Amino acid sequence: MARESVVIRLAGESGEGVISSGDILTQAAARGGYWTQTFRTYPAEIRGGPCMYQVRMGKDRIYSHGKEVDLLVCFNQEAWDLHWDSLAADGVILYDETAVAIPAEFQDRARPVRMEKLAKEIGGSSRAKNMVAVGAVCGVIAFDTTPIEELVMRRYAHKAGVADANIAALQAGKDESADLNGSKEITPPVETEEDRVLMSGNQAIALGAVAAGLDYFGGYPITPASDILEWLSAKLPATGGITVQCEDEIASLASVIGASYAGAKAATATSGPGLSLMSELIGYAGMAEIPCVIIDAQRGGPSTGLPTKTEQSDLQHALYGGHGEAPRVVIAPVSVEDCFWATVDAFNYAERFQVPVILLTDQGLGTRMEVISKPDLSKVEQWQRKTAVDVEGQAKRYELTDDGISPMGLPGQPNGQYVATGIEHDEYGHPDYTPEMHTTMQHKRWRKLDPLANGAARHEYYGNTQPDIAVIGFGSTYGPVREAVDMALADGLSVGAFYPRVLGPFPVETVREFTAKASRVIVPEINFTGQLARLVRGEVGITVDSQAKCDGLPFTAEDIHEMITEAVR
Amino acid sequence: MTTAPAQRKPSDYKSDLKPIWCPGCGDFGVLASLYRAFAELDLDPTNTVVVSGIGCSSRLPGFVTTYGVHTLHGRPLPVAMGVKLANPELTVIAVGGDGDGFAIGAGHFPHAARRNIDVTYLVMDNEIYGLTKGQASPTSLTDQKAPTTPWGNLETPLNTLAFAIASNASFVARGASFNTKALTELIVQAIEHKGFSYIDALSPCVMFNNKQEAWKELVTDVEPDHNPADRTGAFDLALRGGFQLGILYRELRPTLDDKYAALIERTPDSDIVAMMDSFSARKGTAIGKPVV
Repeated sequence: MARESVVIRLAGESGEGVISSGDILTQAAARGGYWTQTFRTYPAEIRGGPCMYQVRMGKDRIYSHGKEVDLLVCFNQEAWDLHWDSLAADGVILYDETAVAIPAEFQDRARPVRMEKLAKEIGGSSRAKNMVAVGAVCGVIAFDTTPIEELVMRRYAHKAGVADANIAALQAGKDESADLNGSKEITPPVETEEDRVLMSGNQAIALGAVAAGLDYFGGYPITPASDILEWLSAKLPATGGITVQCEDEIASLASVIGASYAGAKAATATSGPGLSLMSELIGYAGMAEIPCVIIDAQRGGPSTGLPTKTEQSDLQHALYGGHGEAPRVVIAPVSVEDCFWATVDAFNYAERFQVPVILLTDQGLGTRMEVISKPDLSKVEQWQRKTAVDVEGQAKRYELTDDGISPMGLPGQPNGQYVATGIEHDEYGHPDYTPEMHTTMQHKRWRKLDPLANGAARHEYYGNTQPDIAVIGFGSTYGPVREAVDMALADGLSVGAFYPRVLGPFPVETVREFTAKASRVIVPEINFTGQLARLVRGEVGITVDSQAKCDGLPFTAEDIHEMITEAVR
Repeated sequence: MTTAPAQRKPSDYKSDLKPIWCPGCGDFGVLASLYRAFAELDLDPTNTVVVSGIGCSSRLPGFVTTYGVHTLHGRPLPVAMGVKLANPELTVIAVGGDGDGFAIGAGHFPHAARRNIDVTYLVMDNEIYGLTKGQASPTSLTDQKAPTTPWGNLETPLNTLAFAIASNASFVARGASFNTKALTELIVQAIEHKGFSYIDALSPCVMFNNKQEAWKELVTDVEPDHNPADRTGAFDLALRGGFQLGILYRELRPTLDDKYAALIERTPDSDIVAMMDSFSARKGTAIGKPVV
């Protein structure tokens, strides 16, 4: 019987064609009309070291990368040694005939593939190993190779010989899986007119920034955020904007603040170590009320930590990092699609409330590829900041207003002159650190965020909205939690998930309402100390069951389902 | 017939805030020179931004009627870069002290210089930390006694002029707060210079390092036969030490802001609609590195 979705894992040495095979398969699945989601692990080294690329594809929307592997492709012995225990009970194996020894008890569901030999003899070069491997995979899942052939033709449009050789290698690979062919047949895709796009979380963020009106981006290379800077460096000049690769993360955010002071919509992207360096400037932007967007693609910490692994351990830093108490907005997208929309929100919040906005993603969400519904660009709103256009006389840059938002003079605007400063100041921006002024100005700066705490922010619910078993998470864990909620609902449980997309200011009343009937509140997160659990306890004053783990890997739906099942017992 | 509007006077750039500096501070001379230079150039305060870091001299933006950014300790240069790149029409001047620019902020200096961002950087160099009450700075002399060097400074001072030339600053000069006429002229030329211009302005701290009288004895003018286009000669002059006032080095090369403008000009226009379409699941090829 055909399967609605399959999990394919390719593993081997970095540089052997594992990644390119995964990319080809992902893109082919998307072209073929399937929903897909990928999951990769990277060695920290540039070349060499074990890597794996998992592709889950199916006829329905895919929310997580999957747990049990239906088809494992081993490029070398280490791949088998590291991944055999992830196989489903009926999972099948394809392996490089020259490099891998499969134990006897698995041999009835394992088939050798002559990767090197066929690549050289038919594909024209050992570089065609990826085509042989992808061909073999297509055989097992009974996937029509036409979309892959189209990709090859397109890639080698001017080299007909190379294209033909690659397609021949693909077909040869398909024959290699022999009697396993069709054993993991996938249900045909659902025909649809809907526009879909295939992208990573980082790409969705870069596109969201362009859609929001980004003018200036200053960044410093860091895993796993660098490709946001790279993508924008290639594309932003076409819209009239610019990117600068700065000398460090401090200069990146400093230049962003300078650009925003001059009226530009400005952003930077980094990971944990960079966020640490930016902390002082985040406080400055909060104090001087200069809009800016800081994207933090979290990775394993502390210190250099696990640069190529995922973690959600910058939450408390994003919320509170820095000396003093400077207002900022912290927003966490829950999916690749939401990376686009949350980035648009981030710019809009920054401009309207004149605050730094930290967008928290993570390595898993930022680097995974996903087929998503194409964002409807007509729904993108661009909010503009309140400026000092028609001001008479000297501008009160930090004017005390009901909502705390003051007119911001932009260089070039007559009568708007003021000095932006991190020193406590009066309405004109003149230094003043009397007790009354500091109290007044702290209130002014913080009350700008009141609307976001009180209903203006959009949050994410799934399942029951006032469940018995309540799950609260943030960011990238949404996908597996959503699938786990479906499993638990099918078990007949009263269960639901709440994902605050804006975590700072924290939606206290919304969480209180969501948990009003809950007997258990489970908080899964990828860090050691249970930062979100602590936040919920502290802000809402309820008891929660912290389910924190710090192995650098995303949760699977099965992990979460088990937590829910345990909670009922 | 309309008459041309009267040229602005130095006093037009003076804000209502009174400088917080100690009586006799060299920074008054630098500020006076800045007012005069602005007036000589008739700069529009609306289109001028003065950016500073933290320290006594970094309070300067409050005392001028232009736009201003009082940033963090050591960070005026990257902030100034952002301002200039976001709006290249603006005249951008960064100011600060030797501690701000060459201790905590030294990591930004060579990059601002080599990028040749069109910003004027005016450092009020008193060879000491004034605001924190007299500790040694990167330009303090060897053996100098200060609260943090009670047995004398063990370190060698930084030669900021040589640093600037080595870093590819396109305009390098030295002035002094007690010679406002010459300093005014240097500031005028620095602002007029297209590119990164650095002025080291000797500016004595009367409280903690009052070398005004000694410096007055030591300063000389850069020799008239010095050719500012000669980079090796300028480097020699900088390494020779002493206090030679004037322009050591000047070259004209494209600025970073001009290069970005040219880049935008030659890049075919695109928009979010076309960019989104390149990711189309059915037709796109957007896996991998973006293609320019």
